[in-house]
Amino acid sequence: MRRSSAYIPVSTAAALLVTSSTLFFVFTCPWLAVNVSPVFPPCVGIVFLFVMANFIMATFMDAGVFPRANEDEDKDEDFRAPLYKNVEVRGVQVRMKWCASCHFYRPPRCSHCSVCDHCVEDFDHHCPWVNNCIGRRNYRFFFLFLLSLTLHMVGVFSGGLLYVLDHPENLWELHNAVTLVVMSVSALFFIPVLGLSCFHLVLVARGRTTNEQVTGKFQGGVNPFTRGCCQNVQFVLFSPITPRYTEKLSERLPLHIQPPFHQPESHKLSQTLPIKSLEEVDAPDSKGLTCPPPLPPKPDPVLLKNHLAALEESLLQSRALMLSGHSMNPLQTSESPTKVLYQVPRDQMVSRISPLVPQEHASEPSLLQPENHAIALTLNSRSLSLKHSSRRGSQRAEIPHASQSVLSGRTGSLSYDSLLHPAGVQAAFLPMDPGLSHGCVDVQRLPARNCSPVFMHINREPSPVRYDSLPKPLMSSIQERREPDDKDKPLQDSGIYDTPSRRSLPQDLRGLSSSRGPTPPAYGSREFLLSSAAYGYGSRSHLSSSSSSSLTRAPRTTGSPLHFNRSLSPSIYQSLDRQSQLPPSTLPAPLPTSSYGPQKALAYTRGGERPEPEL
Amino acid sequence: MATEFHNLQELRHSASLANKVFIQRDYTDGTVCKFQTKFPSELDSRIERTLFEDTVKTLNNYYAEAEKIGGQSYLEGCLACLTVYLIFLCIETRYEKVLKKISWYIQEQNEKVYAPRGLLITDPIERGMRVIEISVYEDHGSSGSSSGSSTTSSSGR
Repeated sequence: MRRSSAYIPVSTAAALLVTSSTLFFVFTCPWLAVNVSPVFPPCVGIVFLFVMANFIMATFMDAGVFPRANEDEDKDEDFRAPLYKNVEVRGVQVRMKWCASCHFYRPPRCSHCSVCDHCVEDFDHHCPWVNNCIGRRNYRFFFLFLLSLTLHMVGVFSGGLLYVLDHPENLWELHNAVTLVVMSVSALFFIPVLGLSCFHLVLVARGRTTNEQVTGKFQGGVNPFTRGCCQNVQFVLFSPITPRYTEKLSERLPLHIQPPFHQPESHKLSQTLPIKSLEEVDAPDSKGLTCPPPLPPKPDPVLLKNHLAALEESLLQSRALMLSGHSMNPLQTSESPTKVLYQVPRDQMVSRISPLVPQEHASEPSLLQPENHAIALTLNSRSLSLKHSSRRGSQRAEIPHASQSVLSGRTGSLSYDSLLHPAGVQAAFLPMDPGLSHGCVDVQRLPARNCSPVFMHINREPSPVRYDSLPKPLMSSIQERREPDDKDKPLQDSGIYDTPSRRSLPQDLRGLSSSRGPTPPAYGSREFLLSSAAYGYGSRSHLSSSSSSSLTRAPRTTGSPLHFNRSLSPSIYQSLDRQSQLPPSTLPAPLPTSSYGPQKALAYTRGGERPEPEL
Repeated sequence: MATEFHNLQELRHSASLANKVFIQRDYTDGTVCKFQTKFPSELDSRIERTLFEDTVKTLNNYYAEAEKIGGQSYLEGCLACLTVYLIFLCIETRYEKVLKKISWYIQEQNEKVYAPRGLLITDPIERGMRVIEISVYEDHGSSGSSSGSSTTSSSGR
C-alpha cells in the first residue's frame, strides 16, 4: 500500500485548484460578468468543469494495469527463462523484458511502476499530482487535463488582471487581495504546466510515451508504434477505451468437461492400439460385468457411419490376415500383418475417417461386440499414452511398439483376435515415414527408423511399455530436445518470439544479437538478476545447471569466460565454468561465433554501472 | 489388478487438468490486440488445426472490431467530453459490447468444440489480454487413478 505521504501532492494539487477557482468565481467573476462580458464567467466555468472532470478521471481511472500472471503461466520458467525476449513490431526489433514481480514478459510499451507495484499497459509515467499511473486507459484524460488546465490558468489570470487593472486604487481591499493571490498562484504554476503541456503535445504528435522519451528508446532508431502525426492524435483522443483487466468478472455458466474426448482425425489413426497387456486381459472382463458403460455425449451419426465402414473394412482385412498368420510366433505374427499393411499408401490410410473411438462402445452396443472391447481398451491405453507422452513424435514412436506388445499378448481366441487385429490394422494408419511403407520392417526396429535418435531410448524398452514408468525428467528432456526443432521455423523469421518454455541456450544469444542497432544499455539490475539467479539455482533440481545456464549464458558465448571477470561475480563465473562442461547434446543449435562475446561482454560491463530507470 | 475394480466410481471417466497451453499475442502490427494463429504442438493430438485457427482468427476479428477508430469511437469520445464523462455511467461503450460478444463466443466455442475435446479456453480478458489460455484436460478413464473434477467453470481466477 502506498505511503500516506504519497497523497500530499495530489491533495495539494486538488486543493489549490478548487480553492483558487472558487475564489475566482466568488470574488472576481461578478465584476467580470458585468464589466467585461456576461459570457466570460460561464466559459471559465465550463473550462473549470472540464479540468475537474479530467483530473478526477486521471486520478481514479485504472491506467491499464495487468493482473499478475498465474503460476501456471510461468510454471518453473521463472528461473530458466531468458530475461529478454525479442519480438518484431512492424519490422523493428523490440525487447520484452521479464517482469519478476508480475511473472510475464512485459508487452511492448508496458512498464512496471515501482510506486504502484504493477505493470501498466502503454506506461507513460507515474504522476504524483494525481497519485496514479498514466497509461493506456487514462492518458487522454491526463493530456486533456493538462491542456484544459493551461487554458483555465490563462482564463483566470487574464480575468484577474482585468480586475486588478480596473481597481488600482485599493489593492488591499478583500476582493482585490483575493484576486491578486489567485493571479499569483496561476502565474506560479502556469510555466511548469505550460511546459508539461507542450512536452506532451510533442509526445502525442510523435507517438511516444514519456517513458520512451526519457529512456531514449527510439533516439537512434525508428519508433515502430507511431502511425503518423494525425493518426497518433486520433489514437490518443478517440480510440475506444480498453477494458479494465483487473475487474472481478461475473460467474459464467459452468462447463462440464466429461471424457471421453474427441480426437482429431489425423491423430485417431495413429493411436488406436492397446498397449498394456494387463489392461487388455482384465478390462474386458470388468467391462463385461458392468453394463452399460458410462454414456459419453451424443455421437455424431455421420462419424458413426464412417467408423462403421472403417471397422468393417479393418475387420475383413484382419480376418484375412489372421487365417494366414494365426499359428505363427507372436513376433513373426507382428511382422506379417505389418508387412502387408505398410504397403498400403499413406494417403489412403489417412483419408479413412476413423471417428471418435471412445464413443463407439456406447453408441453401437449391438454391433461388433469384440470391437467394442477393443475400442474401450484402446481408449484406456490411449489415455495413458496421452498422459505421458504428449508429443506427437513420441506417440508415433510408442504406438508401433505398443502394437508389438499387443500382438505378443494374444491368447488365440477369436474374440481376442478380432480385438487385436483391428488394432493391428490400425497400426498401419500411423503416419510413418514413406520409407517404412515398403514393409519388411519388424515392429521393433520400426520406431528406431521412424523417429529421430532422441526417441531411441524409449523404444528400446521391453514390452509391455509402461507409460507411467517413464520418468518425468526423461520426458522433460525429450521436450527440451524437441523444442529446438519446433523453434527452427520461428527462428528463421526476423523476429525471435518464443514461448517462455524455451530452454535452448543459443537462442538467447541470438535474441540479443538481433536486438536493435544501438546496443541497448544493459541495466545493472539484469546483472543483479543473473547473479541472484546463479545463487538461487544451485540448490534446485537436476535441471538447475541448464536453468542457470539459460540466464547466465545469455550474455556469453562458449569459451570466453575471461571477458566476464570484471563484470560478473565469482559465483557466476563458477556456474559459467560448469556450463562449459555440459555435454554438447544440451546445445541443440550451433552457437554463434565468439566474435559476439567481447562485444556483449563490454556492453554488459558498461551497462552494469547504469541503473535501470524504472519509473 | 483391474479386474477387482468393479466400483462404478472407478469406472466412471473423470477428467483432470493436465496442462495449459498459452497462445501469445502477435505484436507484428503494433499494440493492437491480436493473437498468434500458430498452432501449438501440444494441441496437435487434441484438436484439428482448422478449428483452432478459426477460433483465434474470429477472436482477432472481434478485437479488431472493438479497437477500430471510426465513426462510433469519435461519437463516443465527443459525447464523453460533452457530458463530462458521466456518459460512462449510463451507456455501455462499443468495446464493452464487443467484449460481451467475445465472451459469448468463447463460451459457445467451449461448449461445442473444446469441451468435447477435453480443452477449455479462458477468456483473454482474465489474463490482461496477454494470452489465450487453453487448459488441457486428460481422461483418467477407469484406470483407478485419481479422480479429478470433471466440472469446471470458465469464470475468472
